[in-house]
Amino acid sequence: MKILIAISSKTYSGETLSVGMKVGEAFKAPTTIVDVGEKINQFSMKEVDMVQERMESWDIDRPGVDVLEWAFEYLAEKKLIKTNTIEAGFPKNTLVETGEGRSEVFLEGTFCEDLKLILRNGDIIEELKNEVQNHGYDVTIIGGSGKRGMAHDLIQYINSSIFIVNNYKSNQTYRLLLAVDNSAGTKKAVKYGVRIAQAFDIEVDVITVSKTDEFKDNCKVAADWTSKFLRRSNIKHENISLSGIPSELIAREAGDNHIIVMGSSNRNPLKTFFQGNKPLKVLENSQCPILIVK
Amino acid sequence: MLAFSNNSLANYLFWVSRKKWLIITFFLSIVLFYLPTPEGLSSEGHRTLIIVIATLILIVSESIPLPAVAILILIMEVTLGVDSPDGVAASFMSDAVFFIMGSLMLAVSIVHQGLDKRLALAIINVTGNKTFNITFGFVTVSALMSSFIGEHTVAAMMLPVVLALIKNAGLDTSKATKLSTLLLFSIAYGCALGSIGTPSGGGRNVIMIGYLSEFGLGDISYLEWMKYTYPMLLIEIPIAVAVLWFTFTPKQKNLDTAIRKLKVNVAKSGKLSGNQLMSILVFILVFLGWVFLSPFIGLGIVALSGVFFYLTFGLIEWPDIARRTNWGVILLFGSAISLGIQMKETGAALYVAENALYSLQYIFKDIEIVRWFFSVVLSAILTNLLSNAATVAVLGPIVLDMGGNPIILGIATSVASAFAYLTIVASPTCMIIHSTGLVSSNDYFKAGWKLFIISIFLLFLVSFFYWPLLS
Repeated sequence: MKILIAISSKTYSGETLSVGMKVGEAFKAPTTIVDVGEKINQFSMKEVDMVQERMESWDIDRPGVDVLEWAFEYLAEKKLIKTNTIEAGFPKNTLVETGEGRSEVFLEGTFCEDLKLILRNGDIIEELKNEVQNHGYDVTIIGGSGKRGMAHDLIQYINSSIFIVNNYKSNQTYRLLLAVDNSAGTKKAVKYGVRIAQAFDIEVDVITVSKTDEFKDNCKVAADWTSKFLRRSNIKHENISLSGIPSELIAREAGDNHIIVMGSSNRNPLKTFFQGNKPLKVLENSQCPILIVK
Repeated sequence: MLAFSNNSLANYLFWVSRKKWLIITFFLSIVLFYLPTPEGLSSEGHRTLIIVIATLILIVSESIPLPAVAILILIMEVTLGVDSPDGVAASFMSDAVFFIMGSLMLAVSIVHQGLDKRLALAIINVTGNKTFNITFGFVTVSALMSSFIGEHTVAAMMLPVVLALIKNAGLDTSKATKLSTLLLFSIAYGCALGSIGTPSGGGRNVIMIGYLSEFGLGDISYLEWMKYTYPMLLIEIPIAVAVLWFTFTPKQKNLDTAIRKLKVNVAKSGKLSGNQLMSILVFILVFLGWVFLSPFIGLGIVALSGVFFYLTFGLIEWPDIARRTNWGVILLFGSAISLGIQMKETGAALYVAENALYSLQYIFKDIEIVRWFFSVVLSAILTNLLSNAATVAVLGPIVLDMGGNPIILGIATSVASAFAYLTIVASPTCMIIHSTGLVSSNDYFKAGWKLFIISIFLLFLVSFFYWPLLS
């Protein structure tokens, strides 16, 4: 299990980093924090590189380093990195270029050995897709942008589970809304949901939504299996069973005080491209964080 | 198996979503190809215009790498029968391309010497610690220097100076303030307005000189160009300072502490080194070469001679030049110039020129104003969307086929292509200051539109009342 947390600035990414590191701790997973800087126009790419090299001789950090430094301070404050690493300070001198405009710095974590901060530049979806593809992450955690196109691209093209930290408020008491059905991805979603519930120490609502009454029995099988799994894991839970349009009902039940966990859609990518899919529709309708498990 | 095929399909869809403009360009080109050739246009001209449209879409959308656009232009020129392979190859390389290649390599060599700290000291010794004077100093130095050594070189040297000043003023270099915006734009706009001053101020000036000479419309020497454009440059400096100051008036009217810290920082770097001195001498030789030798051996060869000296005297290593030079841009400008020449030779430029004049005559009755308006306004708009050199390479042959005084129209087009004030992608200097994360796209428009309008008005006055006295 490997986790990627995408941040953009200290102003907008505080909650994303906080939620992301909680998930990383819960899974005791190697975690990478990435800042994707703006795409540089091809006409000016070399000139910008040249300027950034000159900035180093003036002891001025290139853009993005301040974001990583802030992430380092957060990790230090929460004691997620080892004391000797904290005492040595942010190791910006060890930020090494690894090719394709990607730079990384290694830190010694307390809950995992492999904790990395990286900088990339370019189109955010393309950069995250490449990072996930080349370095094999299982979960990508990112803040909600509010742009439909961005959400669509994340869900369609990033080849890992996606946790969109949409409108997360640290002072809010959350419950976990576990959406289950008879699809193949449900079991994995339930397992992830259990770990998230344990990490955040929250109770679970298991929701099944059948489009018509004739599928109610299939949904019941999935809900029973989930209840059994949650009981074994000592997690308090309640079951909700509804009939109607799943994406609308899941979002309505979630309100703004749930973290939604659901499996990804098995829909053909071509259909998803033109019509979207269930997780995307839930994301569009909801006002809370959502984890889509692939 | 299903997961694999779904994954592959998702990858194909991702490619399609990122290359949609390439796909649109492909189908649009096919449709245009099968449309009947318009009356008054040769079939070669028709095909050349298809390549122009495809090129513009691909450059603006950046859906494929710039070198790929450059190569595509050459492939299309040959496969669409616009010219023979040898003809295309011959039109690809010219003194203007030598100049662009040489000036990009010179920029790397000059920036490599670390002369920025010397420059910083020289500026602040003159300006003192008042923010207004510093802004005036930055705009003036950026404009004067970029008129000779090119805007990207100056921006690369000036940016660290500005950031050091912001840092020394006790401000966060990752947080935008009016002071940071003011100082960064003083570099970007100073470089942009300065680049009109001499042929070596920008590749586009050399491209225009090359077209004028190639099409037998006139030869302009280095000093003659300066006579045309330098007065406008000098008038624009105080205007740009005023526009920037009143748009981004900072709270800090005095940067006493920042200047003191900057002086201490610069003092640490010691005296001027032998290499730095040599590098300045080589550049002075290059400048003298441009002034006195370029009529005989060309501006490009002089620039390449400078690179030869930098390499031979060990002032820079070849791997440094190879790594930092934007070869893709050189290829693209070579192809764009080749396309420009094909536009002239196939009659496509004349066709567009005549139709544009015909349409615009409904708005303006005076043909001189029509020609000027078309050249200047289109050039100024395209430069903010495309790139200034690419704008002149494509627009140049059309403008020069419009009749009237080709020298005035040619220089006006080239000067207007420096009005890259409105967008991030307008020029490398705009991108360089944007890459700091301290200026947003809205900031470009806030000050840019004022300078854009004033510059066009000033160019109008200069074109109609000053330049005719020189012709």
